[in-house]
Amino acid sequence: MDRQKLGAELKRIFPPERVLTSELERRMYSYDSSFMARFHSFVPDAVVLPQSTQEVSALLKLASQHRIPVIPRGAGSGETCGCLAVRGGIVVDLSAWDTIEEVDVANMQVFARPGVVHYKLNEHLAGFGLFFPPDPGSTRMCTVGGMVANNSSGLRAVKYGTTEQYVLGLEAVLPDGQVIQTGGANDCRALKNVSGLNLTKLFVGSEGVLGIITRIRLRVWPRPQARGMAMAVFSELELAPAAVLDVYQSGILPSGIEILDTSAIQAINMYKPEINLPSAEAILIFEVDGNPAGVAWEGQQIAEIVGRHAVSVEWATDPARMADLWRGRSVVAVAAARLRPDGSRIFAGEDISVPLSRVAETLRRIKELSRKHDVAVVNYGHIGDGNIHTAPVINLDSSAEVQRANALVDDIHRLAIAMGGSTTGEHGVGAVRNQYAVDEHGEAALVMKQLKETLDPLNIMNPGKLFPPEGGKDRA
Amino acid sequence: MPEDLEGLKEQYLRCVRCGQCRSVCPVFEAVKNETATPRGKVFLAHLLATGEIKANTQVQAQLSRCLLCRSCSKECPSAIPVHQIVSAARAELVCRAPSPVKRMVFRHIWTRPRRLALAAGLTRQIQILGLDRLGLSLGLLPPGFALPGRLPRRAARATIPAITPAAGKTRLRVGYFLGCSTNFLFPGVAESTVAVLSRLGCEVVIPPELKCCGLPQLASGEADAAVNLASANSEVFRRLNVEAVVSDCASCTAALKESPEFAGIKVIELSELLLELLKEYNPGLQQITKPVTYHDPCHLSKAQGITAAPRELLRLICRDFREMDGASDCCGSGGTFALYHYQTSMAILDKKIAAIKKSEAEIVATSCPTCIMQIRHGLTGHGCEIDVVHTVELLERALGRET
Ligand SMILES: Cc1cc2nc3c(=O)[nH]c(=O)nc-3n(C[C@H](O)[C@H](O)[C@H](O)COP(=O)(O)OP(=O)(O)OC[C@H]3O[C@@H](n4cnc5c(N)ncnc54)[C@H](O)[C@@H]3O)c2cc1C
Ligand code: SF4
Ligand code: SF4
Repeated sequence: MDRQKLGAELKRIFPPERVLTSELERRMYSYDSSFMARFHSFVPDAVVLPQSTQEVSALLKLASQHRIPVIPRGAGSGETCGCLAVRGGIVVDLSAWDTIEEVDVANMQVFARPGVVHYKLNEHLAGFGLFFPPDPGSTRMCTVGGMVANNSSGLRAVKYGTTEQYVLGLEAVLPDGQVIQTGGANDCRALKNVSGLNLTKLFVGSEGVLGIITRIRLRVWPRPQARGMAMAVFSELELAPAAVLDVYQSGILPSGIEILDTSAIQAINMYKPEINLPSAEAILIFEVDGNPAGVAWEGQQIAEIVGRHAVSVEWATDPARMADLWRGRSVVAVAAARLRPDGSRIFAGEDISVPLSRVAETLRRIKELSRKHDVAVVNYGHIGDGNIHTAPVINLDSSAEVQRANALVDDIHRLAIAMGGSTTGEHGVGAVRNQYAVDEHGEAALVMKQLKETLDPLNIMNPGKLFPPEGGKDRA
Repeated sequence: MPEDLEGLKEQYLRCVRCGQCRSVCPVFEAVKNETATPRGKVFLAHLLATGEIKANTQVQAQLSRCLLCRSCSKECPSAIPVHQIVSAARAELVCRAPSPVKRMVFRHIWTRPRRLALAAGLTRQIQILGLDRLGLSLGLLPPGFALPGRLPRRAARATIPAITPAAGKTRLRVGYFLGCSTNFLFPGVAESTVAVLSRLGCEVVIPPELKCCGLPQLASGEADAAVNLASANSEVFRRLNVEAVVSDCASCTAALKESPEFAGIKVIELSELLLELLKEYNPGLQQITKPVTYHDPCHLSKAQGITAAPRELLRLICRDFREMDGASDCCGSGGTFALYHYQTSMAILDKKIAAIKKSEAEIVATSCPTCIMQIRHGLTGHGCEIDVVHTVELLERALGRET
């Protein structure tokens, strides 16, 4: 169908102001936060902004009829081109559909439309003394729909896990326009439910390739009353994971454990000298939360246990001091670019996940790779669950550097698999890691593909993502 | 000269398109799609710079959807100066595809005080004849044209003397930068500024040859005109030998502080100066009893980082000062923004009005004439009888009549 006709058809489903067809408007949907999107122009044929399940269903019927790709999009904060029209088609921007429909306090759950922004959900829940624990760094922008589709998580995944643990049920529109409720139809509000195949979990992390999520039933938790933080400085990188293991062995489960390596410490000190981190091979930041007495006891224990490995440990419960300690960790993603004056931090190879026992080894290997490819990197991450964020810093104007960065990133992904880990712990696959699907999953990758073909025989839902590309390595 | 698009290349390249700026942009909050995000504007500027898109009215329309409120620049973890990039992109557009009408207004009328006064006089005549209402109802004029309301009969410059001596002992000789909005729309605010400064020991000088501060030109892509204005104005102040320059307009103050031409001239924000003066000499303050709340103008809170001084001042003179929710959220005025994007501007304003109502204040104080205009318009539209005043007007009341 030509674009003009498509626009006209879409305007029969949506009011005209919620259909974007001009070249310029479409172009503004050609990016997310990924490195790859900087070098491609994935411009969709149209953009629609739904406000009801009926609209989404009618859209998918139209798309099926004409075999037009449909690409769901939240805030576009993803790092994988997941929400981009790599094969053309209609982008469905769900971020404006952002109503929190109900907080069911008695049943500890909340019902939301997909566009609700994560921090706004938690602001709203705070009024009820509740919270939705996963805490991605993108809290200020990412949508809960995007979080479910990517199974997102954050610093506190150590204790609170990932989004999947909280999704009780979904309303989803399948590629043919059929609307289903997972986790129990008939307004099910059960917290435990093991009846039937778990379609909810199938949709969590499906990155928009199975259908569009239009309503989300989330479990919520009581807010912890107290928090405390410890910062430990290490003279040798290997001592840091050992300290983490000792803490776990002592029966303590911190809410977050973060690591900064030498490069990260250096970058932070260059960016904000006033933070003034001690130069060291590694710094660990522990966070514990819970009731005030428990937090105090756990803090003391951590200080004592970690103190056996560390050069120094500092324990803090004063909010101002905690904010100071946390600032170092929170500015690192941005600070990375300071490693060189003409440098930009890129999001590529940024999210591998390895076994806890091999974190130190992986960090050393990444440093070697960085030297081999002559690309500066900053390393930090959620050491508590083995999730390492590597930030390559390059001059985007130099095509030689871009090429070297791509080679480095490929090596980092392969390193993760070799270590018995995964190419991505949080950000997902999209169109930037799908070439590793078979290496990572073996035969299971083919079963995934069969499932996809069953639900989406016409391959209109977010094509070019998640599954290995046909005929080899063509990206997208 | 403000940085041009080429000069800002390193900045826009550093944008990682994370989208965090979506969380603070008032225009995005009202429009609710990606085309209105700060990130999108940086992206467009980038395309414009590389020549991937041509300068045309569509690009111009997209880039015009920015209040230059700087909320995004402040929020951005990578410290991308989005507002500068938008201004530079606008300049690029003006250069490649100038709009004759806007050129005429911003370059040839607004830069010359006499012509501007004539235009204001003409506007008033049109209003008296009711032609503006006719034009509005026939859709010949954009709805934003109604915003300023009926212009006062005489502009401030026509009534206030060029030099007002200090009421008592002279502590300071200040140059008062009487900006266009205050001059034409709120001569009463100008009178209060002069009266208060004088009461607190300032000799107040208003040089008659002052021109516009240059902000409207900068915002509409006429960067070189802005530079010319700044250098003419700075010359004037240098010749006058004043110890400091103040303005009751947050936007003018920000523009003066930021223009390199003003290097070496001490520009002080009005509420900070007033607090300082009051600390040295307090002639006694009567308390305002009605509940008062404060709206932070973007050009004060975000451009100059000043939020404490106006509050401290208000707490000195108000028995019941109370914060509204989102006091530093933009009111949607953004200079001429409302003229082009009335609906969006009003959607942004609605949130502000709701916050004011919720505060149950009876007086809203702020420090920028365009914010006063916008908030008054909103309150009237919502049928609220809440006063909107400049902080300096409240201080004048608190100082009471001169004896
Ligand atoms: C600075 C920064 C920090 C980040 N930190 C973290 C972090 O700590 N942890 C983490 O997990 N991620 C993080 N991310 C990645 C990203 O923010 C998350 O993956 C987020 O959940 C994406 O949400 P979004 O609304 O932006 O989705 P988008 O980027 O718009 O889309 C992501 C994917 O979800 C699909 N999708 C979106 N909505 C729907 C829907 N309603 N139905 C079906 N499919 C849908 C899209 O098709 C796409 O495949 C970070 C990103 C940035 C830029
Ligand atoms: S301007 Fe800043 S906040 Fe916005 S997308 Fe770019 S880097 Fe992120
Ligand atoms: S300056 Fe204000 S209006 Fe303009 S893009 Fe930034 S936040 Fe939006």
